[in-house]
Amino acid sequence: MSNTYIPVNMRVETIAVEDKEKALRTFDLVFVDEADGKRFTYMPGQFCEFSLLGKGESPFGIASSPTEAGILRFTVNRTGSVTNEIHYLREGDTVGIRGPLGNWYPVEKFKGGNVVIIGGGFAFTTLRSLIVYMLEHRQDYGDLTVIYGARNPDLFLYKDELAQWQKRDDLTLHLTIDKPVEGWTGMTGFVPAVVRELAPSTENAWVVVCGPPIMIKFTLPVLTELKFPDSRVYTSLERRMKCGIGKCGRCNIGSKYICIDGPVFSMEELGEIPETP
Amino acid sequence: MVRLEKGKFDDFIRSLAEDYIVYAAVTAGGKSSFKVVASAGEIDEGRLLTDRSPKEIFFPHSEVLFEYDGDGIRETKKAAKPIAVWGLRGCDVKSLAMLDKVFGTARQMPDNEMFEDPYWKRKYDNSLIFGLACNEPRSTCFCNWLGGGPHSEDASDIFVIDTGEAFLMQPVSDKGKAFIGKMTDAAGASAAGASVAKASGADEKKAAELASGARAMMAEPPALDGLDEKLKGIFHEDIWEEMSAKCVNCGACAFVCSTCHCFDVQDEGKGGKGKRIRIWDSCMFPIFTREASGHNPRHLSSDRFKQRVMHKYSYFVDNYGESLCTGCGRCVIVCPVGVDIREVIKRVLSFEGKGAR
Repeated sequence: MSNTYIPVNMRVETIAVEDKEKALRTFDLVFVDEADGKRFTYMPGQFCEFSLLGKGESPFGIASSPTEAGILRFTVNRTGSVTNEIHYLREGDTVGIRGPLGNWYPVEKFKGGNVVIIGGGFAFTTLRSLIVYMLEHRQDYGDLTVIYGARNPDLFLYKDELAQWQKRDDLTLHLTIDKPVEGWTGMTGFVPAVVRELAPSTENAWVVVCGPPIMIKFTLPVLTELKFPDSRVYTSLERRMKCGIGKCGRCNIGSKYICIDGPVFSMEELGEIPETP
Repeated sequence: MVRLEKGKFDDFIRSLAEDYIVYAAVTAGGKSSFKVVASAGEIDEGRLLTDRSPKEIFFPHSEVLFEYDGDGIRETKKAAKPIAVWGLRGCDVKSLAMLDKVFGTARQMPDNEMFEDPYWKRKYDNSLIFGLACNEPRSTCFCNWLGGGPHSEDASDIFVIDTGEAFLMQPVSDKGKAFIGKMTDAAGASAAGASVAKASGADEKKAAELASGARAMMAEPPALDGLDEKLKGIFHEDIWEEMSAKCVNCGACAFVCSTCHCFDVQDEGKGGKGKRIRIWDSCMFPIFTREASGHNPRHLSSDRFKQRVMHKYSYFVDNYGESLCTGCGRCVIVCPVGVDIREVIKRVLSFEGKGAR
């Protein structure tokens, strides 16, 4: 039988630094063995365990879209011991990947509907995957609205791509920063307030919210206020995680494990769980 | 049912050890646990409950997942022989069956090997489990609260009753039937070097007497129906602070628990050479869920106490249809501050405050 604890080898193809403080780096990886790449099929919202031998593993959402053949993209914020080591990687280095793990955004259900995507900070990774995927299958979806907030203009991920999306007429992108900054032409204010102000239509709409816990906490009530039913609002959760396959017992909220029952949950599902997400 | 005279027990264990890695209760330095044995003399035969739970036979405290060096990853090798466990008490047999639900199955994606645990499966799947009846349950035993009993055959391959002079063996599973079949077959018996006789009517009578005697020694259990729902209903109540007030989050309960399965994964190595291991962990410890950002979803001691109780008697019920507790009572025995999980259950069942359903 296959052994899911054994990572497959991937080579770091390119590294992009996302912010001035170099705390956010984006890694594009390619499979060392093509056969591993063929076996690896995923959907937007899934994640992987990123493994460095001798250092450990950390889970990251996949930032590339399955429509972008040949690479897997991860954006890593430097916070702990493993992410610190990941930041020391250089192009050409070999790393290990276990996955794809978890469930995904229900892109099949979204078909024919309008989709509102609300993101904050560096949690934008799997949302990028979702947006790229939907743009690639553009005819399957109605209006696409993206609301993305960051503390300041420097902390947006994928800035070149955001600039390209702003030019498109089949996607509405609203960027917002916490406080006014000279030269900033986008919106200003926290994500929940901006969502309230923009008041996206609930008509035939689905919402995906992903961001830091504090953003999610204050955005969800706004969505309820705007009359989005819980069954049409999805979010992606994070917890400290080890095995990724529902055995090691640490990433649960209530009886659900983020790693196998999630990370994507509808608000309706979360409402049935007594523990606070 | 067959009868093995105690005088032939050593022959039996020695012949068993030819085909299996045999584990049995061994007491050393005043502490008992399941260890590999080659002869009957090493076995602490009358031991009711080992200090350490037998989960470590299949899920060791520390287990190497793989080794690595400059040439890549080397998976740990599978043992050459299957495992046989002699003398597991009914509670412990059941706990292994529960752990098999966690490690041996893919809950979210059935039949997807990726979600099965290869390290558990390669040991547990072809194991032979000899359950052993408890003729004298102790005061901390509460298997009968959770559907078990001192003479419960559930999940054993072969169920054994110690009559004092002999072991009566009742085959339970197909694997057990095949094994006993081989022993009673004349050629097989001589090869095994341990002959057994068919149990007599007197033997069967003795077994029944021991079973009813053992049951009578245990107090009538409270009804646990609705415990799962009741727990969910009082999730946000202050009762948790009250119940967990004396808990020091030491994790001893999880360490000796036969069903606690949480683990951590760590790399041990130096200079590009080393191993990735998994090691028991516990939801009692604050760092269990503390994230790199510093955020901890269960930062209070009472949150962690609640997690352990909820996992055992509510979450596991949601996911696998039964409680993750067999009533072995090890946690009651080792808790340094006297937390008795039975009292916690009773308190929850009798709680009638706000939120009680």
